[in-house]
Amino acid sequence: MDQKEIYELLVEKLGAAALGFNDEGVEAYADVEPGRVAEACLFMRDDERLQFNQLMCLSGVDWDGFDENGKGKSVKILGYTDEGQPETSDHISEGDFGVVYSLYSHSQKHKFTLRVRTPRTTAAVPTVSGIWSTAAWHEREAWDLLGINFEGHEDLRRILLEEHWEGHPLRKDYQMPAQWDTVPLNGQAYSENPFPTPDKPAGDDPAEG
Amino acid sequence: MSKNTTPPEGYEVQREQMLDFKVPEQLLKVLDEDGRSDAKNFILTTVDEVFNWARLSSIWPVTFGLACCAIEMMATSATRYDIDRFGAGAFRATPRQADLMIVSGTVTAKMATRLKLIYDQMPEPKWVIAMGSCAIGGGPYFKYGYHVVKGVDFLVPVDVYVPGCPPRPEVLLEGLMRLQDKIRGRKGKFVTPKWITDYAKKIPYRK
Repeated sequence: MDQKEIYELLVEKLGAAALGFNDEGVEAYADVEPGRVAEACLFMRDDERLQFNQLMCLSGVDWDGFDENGKGKSVKILGYTDEGQPETSDHISEGDFGVVYSLYSHSQKHKFTLRVRTPRTTAAVPTVSGIWSTAAWHEREAWDLLGINFEGHEDLRRILLEEHWEGHPLRKDYQMPAQWDTVPLNGQAYSENPFPTPDKPAGDDPAEG
Repeated sequence: MSKNTTPPEGYEVQREQMLDFKVPEQLLKVLDEDGRSDAKNFILTTVDEVFNWARLSSIWPVTFGLACCAIEMMATSATRYDIDRFGAGAFRATPRQADLMIVSGTVTAKMATRLKLIYDQMPEPKWVIAMGSCAIGGGPYFKYGYHVVKGVDFLVPVDVYVPGCPPRPEVLLEGLMRLQDKIRGRKGKFVTPKWITDYAKKIPYRK
């Protein structure tokens, strides 16, 4: 089915909650209201004309620096300096978060992409893990790295990072840690005797060569 | 883990005195071309040499691969390059039987605690080869790698650094041979050229 026709079916179902359609880029996509995305996904899976039985990918997006129309300039991402110290910045991120759903139908052989945008303060989107079970891990990853809260998810915890990691690293205002737990991420090479003297020579310490 | 980052008081003066230390002429007379002294006890020297020879001829690495460098490590141990020619082909499945850890790949913060545990479980004497850019200094993850330890030498003492991304098997074999030289005790034999040490000082991270 044509992308435009799929969107028309979506408008029929959602009404004003279908916010817009764009097929100028590589892939056509439709913007929908974040609160009703689960309803839209269930419709697209179960409708006989659509039959989107696979969620190919669920991606989280940080739209900081871009306005509602997707126009703007990307902000600088904080990293480490050449000396290995974390960079700091006065920039406070205000942009929205987004979630992108890439769908595919094996029987109808067509694709479609849904997008939602949610304010950074709430960052809440209803879960689709009950519709496609593969979404459970994708949503855990989006929560782990961006902090998007998927409401109704049964097991929303970190999937890649350690469970007691602080912050969400792919946010554009994330500041790199200098040390994590007991692990130094930078500093001085490990040595039993870092400052050898004539009284206490380096000996067999491999760090001294 | 104890990390001493502040030198003791008056350390720099002591260090300069130590660097200025000259070998007395009486001692120089008894040193052979390898820098070893004949003045040592004859039997002990020989026993040391036998022990060192045994250790360097049969280095057992622990089966420990972290990332793409591990693929090159596997290639090194396969037929074409055959690390067994150098006596280091018996990759042990437990650290308690191993005496070499080849850190082959990116050391993430999550893996760092496990790596330290495996190193601590290895019996003495034990050696570490840091293989590839990531294990040496973070590599491509240096700037934005929030999850990467910027060099495995923050966790364990490293004997030989093998550069490359990833290093070819020949380079790993070269690193292994340099480790064997180190075990053999010929410290004065392979002097790093001055232009390399000067260049290394210019790299901001490795002051």
